[in-house]
Amino acid sequence: MWFEFKMAWRFLMSGKTQTLLILLGIIVGVTVQVFLGFLIQGLQQDLINQTVGTAPHVFILPEANAPRMLTEEESSYSRTITFSGKQTGLSRWRKLSSDVEEIDDVTAVSPTIVGSGFAFRGQKSLSTVMRGINFEQADNIYNIKENLLNTQTADLGGNNILIGSSLAQELELSPGDSLKLRTADGVTDSFFIAGIFDLGNKELNSSWVLMGLNRAATFLDMPNKISNIELQISDVFKSNQIASQIRRNNPRVKVESWQENNQQLLTALESQSSSSLVIQVFVMIAVTLGISSVLAVSVVQKSRQIGILKAMGTNRRRVGIIFLIQGAILGLTGALIGSMGGIGLSKLFVNVVRDETGSPLFPITINLNFILISIAVATLAGMIAALIPARNSAKLNPVEVIRNG
Amino acid sequence: MAKSLIEINNLVKVYGQEVKNKVLHSISLEIEKGEFVAIVGPSGSGKSTFLNLLGALDQATEGEIWINNQLISDLDDLELAKFRNQNLGFVFQFHHLLPEFTAKENVMIPDWIEYGAPTVDKKERAQKLLELVGLSDVTDKLITKLSGGQKQRVALARALMNKSPILLADEPTGNLDTATTEKIYNLLRDINQQLGTTFIIVTHNQDIAAKTDRIIRLVDGQIESDKVIEK
Ligand SMILES: Nc1ncnc2c1ncn2[C@@H]1O[C@H](COP(=O)(O)OP(=O)(O)OP(=O)(O)O)[C@@H](O)[C@H]1O
Ligand SMILES: [Mg+2]
Repeated sequence: MWFEFKMAWRFLMSGKTQTLLILLGIIVGVTVQVFLGFLIQGLQQDLINQTVGTAPHVFILPEANAPRMLTEEESSYSRTITFSGKQTGLSRWRKLSSDVEEIDDVTAVSPTIVGSGFAFRGQKSLSTVMRGINFEQADNIYNIKENLLNTQTADLGGNNILIGSSLAQELELSPGDSLKLRTADGVTDSFFIAGIFDLGNKELNSSWVLMGLNRAATFLDMPNKISNIELQISDVFKSNQIASQIRRNNPRVKVESWQENNQQLLTALESQSSSSLVIQVFVMIAVTLGISSVLAVSVVQKSRQIGILKAMGTNRRRVGIIFLIQGAILGLTGALIGSMGGIGLSKLFVNVVRDETGSPLFPITINLNFILISIAVATLAGMIAALIPARNSAKLNPVEVIRNG
Repeated sequence: MAKSLIEINNLVKVYGQEVKNKVLHSISLEIEKGEFVAIVGPSGSGKSTFLNLLGALDQATEGEIWINNQLISDLDDLELAKFRNQNLGFVFQFHHLLPEFTAKENVMIPDWIEYGAPTVDKKERAQKLLELVGLSDVTDKLITKLSGGQKQRVALARALMNKSPILLADEPTGNLDTATTEKIYNLLRDINQQLGTTFIIVTHNQDIAAKTDRIIRLVDGQIESDKVIEK
């Protein structure tokens, strides 16, 4: 191979302008391809993070949550049916949650009691979602501790609660104040605000009231049951798989995954991915055609040299390899520089394009695998591009070129 | 039956598909190992054509060429390439060097083809050959920087690089002055005598031809005369 490399290299170096031009073409192509790839990946990652970054990936719920009928009154005009607002609830949840904790991919498990109600202050009352949690466990999912505004402690003992920043603002509350809450069943109690959080989500910030799991059990009257268990997993795209695994082992509960609940988003992401892939493929085809045409010209330019090499005992295959190597060198060099260009462009994009608050639209992570694949693809494209020129060079008849000066 | 080093039987070469141009008419001859043969004849008589067929660069229309008991037309591309590299040294009429390389690199190319990266020995041999043809001062110059006569001598050094048993040369001294021509022929003679290399050289130079072992005269694609020179 030494000989073929030597020839390939010298042939490339002897036509510097031509080599540089095609290299530039490949660099631009790969830069675009890598940048586009990162952009779409970053965008999608960001969307997914926003959707599931600080949200449960899998929910374990009671089997049926249908309201139960309590009474039925019939008069001549109408029929009134009264339903219980009370949830069925998950029983034996301690065992269930310690079971799911054993699953490899599960990174966070948070048993939760959820109930709706109202918060009062003076004349104002706002509807709230009351959530009983074990702080440490819920924190793994929602990052509450990091997002507490003006307190260091997050103690949910006794009547302590944490409330969302919008709710606090609306009711002009600050840590240390007390707050009256009423459940849908009409139970009212007074709580002590231990902290205020901003989870970056308007809805949560304006409605959530967090309290200890035990306190919620009594307040919301769920003595032995909880509403659901929320899970996070290491690979968010395994949520369906994990959900069905849990389902299989626990036929009496309902399991939902974020993927099932966000079909539309996922379909959108998928079609975005495939259109980005199509663009990348076309860019690579353009690059391949570029390399191919330059090498085809080069075979014609070097036909005398090829004839001489053949006359001196270079067989057809080796002559072809000389051009394959040229294609590979062009592809590889172009891809190496191009992927650096793509990384550079991505960094530039993150630093220059910003939203109104001055922070990047979304983070772009440099995915090494993607770079390596791009480089491999471009190198391969270079070699594929060289196939036809290489075949032409191999077919060249030495006498044709040796006869004339 | 033991054959001569080179045996040619009824060699015919026709160029062209529709308009046929018969350039060689049934040539037969034998050349022994170590012979120093001159091929002479008017322009267009088929000398280069004959040499190209002998060097397996082109295919004969009819007839056989045996070299070293090997029928050339039996070899496939791979075998033929190796055969050329090992058995034949070429000096083409238009010298044909690679412009991308220096004089010394050009001389080494036949060696690169077979053995890859050159050893120190091989580099020294290339240097030595260039010195022998009087080019020690241009060894590292690119071919494009050399004069016609210098190129011709580089081509000769290249043909000698692999110590091929047969050396085919198409007017190797066409561009050289009488003194240099004389020197080069003496060099080739020395190699011929020391290594037993067989030389087949096309030349217009009557003085040179007269110094060879045998003069084959081609006219209109036929051997007009085939004379062994008495010494
Ligand atoms: N590839 C070819 N196609 C058609 N005709 C050819 C081809 N090569 C050579 N010829 C013809 O064959 C004849 C012999 O050519 P050749 O080159 O062998 O002559 P030559 O003896 O070497 O002449 P010179 O002394 O001028 O080099 C010429 O008429 C030439 O035009
Ligand atoms: Mg000729």
